[in-house]
Amino acid sequence: MKLILSTSNIMKGGRPSVIRQPPTQKSNIELINSLHSNFLASQQPDTNGESNTNGSTNGSHPPPSTAWTLQGDDALYIPAIDFSQPGLAEERDQYDITVKLFYLPGIPVSRRCAHTREAIDLVLKELHVESIDLLIVSFPGILFDADDDSEEEESSSDQEADDFDSMVQTWRVLESLQEKGMIAQLGVAEFGSERLTRFLPHTKVKPSVDQINLKDCCVVPKSLILYAKQEHIQLLTHNDCNDILPVGTTRELLGPADKGAGILASSPDEKDGIQGDVEPQWVVKYTAVVKDRGVVENKGYFALADVGTCVKGRS
Amino acid sequence: MGLLALGTALEWPEAKKKAPQVRQWGIEQLLANWNRAKGKERDALLWGDEVEYLVVALDDGERKSRLSLAQADILKSLARDEALWKTGSCNNNNNSEHDGEDPPHFHPEFGRFMLEATPGRPWGIGFKDLLKVESNMKWRREVAKAHMASNEFPITLTTFPRLGTKDDYIQPYYPPSGPALRSQFVPDEIANPHIRFPTLAANIRSRRGRKVELNVPIFKDANTPRPFKDPTVNYDLHKWPEDDDVRNGAAKDDHVYMDAMAFGMGSCCLQITFQAKNMTEGRRLYDQLSPLGPILLALTAATPIYKGFLVDTDVRWNQIGGAVDDRTREELGEAPLKNDRWRIPKSRYASNSTYISQDPRLRKEYLDPDLVVDEGIKKRLMDGGMDELLATHFAHLFIRDPLVIFSEDLEELDVNKADHFENLQSTNWQHMRFKPPPPESDIGWRVEFRSMEIQITDFENAAFSIFIVLITRAILSFDLSFYIPISRTTENMETAHARNAVLDQKFYFRKDPFPRRAPKNAPLPNGASAFSSATSSAVNTPPPSPPLGPVESEYELMTIADIVNGCSDGSFPGLIPLVESYLNSVNVDVETRCFLATYLDLIRKRADGTLWTGARWIREFVAKHPSYKHDSVVSEEICYDLVKAVEEMTGKEGQQGSVGWEMLRGRKT
Repeated sequence: MKLILSTSNIMKGGRPSVIRQPPTQKSNIELINSLHSNFLASQQPDTNGESNTNGSTNGSHPPPSTAWTLQGDDALYIPAIDFSQPGLAEERDQYDITVKLFYLPGIPVSRRCAHTREAIDLVLKELHVESIDLLIVSFPGILFDADDDSEEEESSSDQEADDFDSMVQTWRVLESLQEKGMIAQLGVAEFGSERLTRFLPHTKVKPSVDQINLKDCCVVPKSLILYAKQEHIQLLTHNDCNDILPVGTTRELLGPADKGAGILASSPDEKDGIQGDVEPQWVVKYTAVVKDRGVVENKGYFALADVGTCVKGRS
Repeated sequence: MGLLALGTALEWPEAKKKAPQVRQWGIEQLLANWNRAKGKERDALLWGDEVEYLVVALDDGERKSRLSLAQADILKSLARDEALWKTGSCNNNNNSEHDGEDPPHFHPEFGRFMLEATPGRPWGIGFKDLLKVESNMKWRREVAKAHMASNEFPITLTTFPRLGTKDDYIQPYYPPSGPALRSQFVPDEIANPHIRFPTLAANIRSRRGRKVELNVPIFKDANTPRPFKDPTVNYDLHKWPEDDDVRNGAAKDDHVYMDAMAFGMGSCCLQITFQAKNMTEGRRLYDQLSPLGPILLALTAATPIYKGFLVDTDVRWNQIGGAVDDRTREELGEAPLKNDRWRIPKSRYASNSTYISQDPRLRKEYLDPDLVVDEGIKKRLMDGGMDELLATHFAHLFIRDPLVIFSEDLEELDVNKADHFENLQSTNWQHMRFKPPPPESDIGWRVEFRSMEIQITDFENAAFSIFIVLITRAILSFDLSFYIPISRTTENMETAHARNAVLDQKFYFRKDPFPRRAPKNAPLPNGASAFSSATSSAVNTPPPSPPLGPVESEYELMTIADIVNGCSDGSFPGLIPLVESYLNSVNVDVETRCFLATYLDLIRKRADGTLWTGARWIREFVAKHPSYKHDSVVSEEICYDLVKAVEEMTGKEGQQGSVGWEMLRGRKT
């Protein structure tokens, strides 16, 4: 079974993403917290009615998951999403819409074509738009290290490292979406200058953006700055970690008991929820910024996980 | 300050008679303009900073620094160049760094020793624009300097340390005690000679019935006399009736006494003006920036010296308030009300007293219960269609009298102009200003943030300007609320005056700035609800559900470090983390982010005490000066060395252990 997790608009959700931490420290706290709080909020009875006088749900049990999730054709939406709500307040051309797609470690490259379509379709549906301005893809296992002048990009482990061919293969998919007009510009994340130099000749549509995380802002390898300038690639900053949604975290979020959403069983064989292994497939983050005002109007995440019999063997 | 057209300025007794007419016409102009502009939509964010300078003349031979009264010559020379730039016939803009930037604008100010400079074109939110701010500020300084004598410099101290002393602190020298100011410390020639300024000063004094009165507590050092009696006060002058003021107790023990508008309006500030998307957003920013006013005042503190003495306060604010305080004894509550209409708790220059946003989070309890309003004006505005909140705001500003009236302007009312409205609006110098679009222009609704002190270097001035811009973006993006009862902001403003308030004092601040999670079937995602109806809970109150707790539980006393950097217990997230979080949600290029990081780092470290405020640096400079006698006196020699150091700092910015590193770098290397 597929599970589609969503945060809704985290800019308007209270206590969103603001965490007291060193500004350049990478983190997935924003994703985890906003999923968690969206689940909690969706479990509350409607608050826009006039009733609900004693406000709190202290001591009462959370409602059954059927009350706040939605079984769609092929997936369980957690929580239920009402796509009929308008996504943006103003006209499309007022916005810059950036989407970042995280391919997760250990998920076969062969699924990426479908995953990319799925993720982008959800974002387009949520925002009620027909195209996005920039799609940045994050490949698993690439770590850019600004301190490392040797320009060696480390892989977290050989097994999980994305090999070069698969990146090129994935890029073809993105190029075809770009050709169809769904995406205006493409970008990559965490590429050093060596990897960029190797990658560029294999592309029809060059990445316009390389998004890097800087531990100390002012240490960027000169070679990367020069190369990016020469190739007209904009270097942007981010603070996402690339293993953004590990399996354990997913089970915690969706499992039973106090902390979880009460969807999944506490372990694959327990009977306190949906049984079977859970396997997050991808995460997508979207941001809609009003161009000439710099206001972030809508920002959120979708994540897709397979559970139970749906978890395919990794070939 | 914009300059009005020349004309015949009325002296106070005449002006007083015409005040009701000016107010009435001003209100009609406001209504006409409001009706024209209330539907103005989708204006881009544009913003501008205003930097004010003192012009000092250094006399290296005598080791003296003086204020230069050369403003008019400098401005004339600058205007000539600006005109040449515009016609394109001048190529002396050989500075390619500023290609594509319009040449800066220079404006006169109240003090004849002052200049104001603004960017040639307003800034946008493009992050590349943010990178230009600091270099543009430096450019302005270079341009200004190029039009001065070789020993003259534009410096950005808030006040000249020895303004109003007995020696020749101005150049050219004029003796004090002229007919307009009647000050025993400064001559009339200290003010801009444009008729508006002497009239303003004279009518404030005349309306008030005596000279303005500023008493700033002396900083008591080891050898300061106790009690301290300001030794510069002359009790034996008999030239003007106002010379009696000091014999009637105007100068207080243990205080430095000053008696003229120049001591306040001669201060330099750093002001930022934003254009909002529409009136709704402007009103929202006005409200949400208001609680930040005192916080930024304490963070930018830079005014520890008056009239040659170290004082026990760190900021300029109340001195300006006192310097333009035109309230009568009746209005001040010192005499029973007979001729005047009401008691007025604040000077025309003070923290603001109104909230104006139609935000459902604005609770009645936040409003000032004792707000003085002109009910007739409020009714006229509401009859004209304005909602009660905004009508109350303007009916509050219009309790004042217009101070400078030109008889030529009273012949016919032109509702396509705003001159009478601006007469009142622009002489209400509150720490926030809500500005309707000027008639017959493309400019939108604007909000001005006015509390910050000017900083010595352009690095700091850029940092604080950009910080405020980013805060406004975070407010709008996260839909933040900093609401506290507005009387608490008034208290915070007083708190910000204390010596070293930035580290030693606590300020009332809202604990949770985040919106409540929107109900599941919320209407539109972005602020759209805000303009959906004309009602707000402050006006028309069905309380939102679930019921709200007591207002007192919404805020608490916090240190500036907590407010800026966040509470360690995680309760208040902190202004800097809010800004960082905003920046993490938008596409920022590496170079810009690095620049912004150095700005945010400065503010973070000012807040936690790692870096000194300007006020602290100046105090330490005086304390360590070999000729300082620990008697609170800032001598001509110290003043000269201080001004020299400040001038050096504007160039070197504390790098490699140069002067000011404690304020700018935090380390000597």
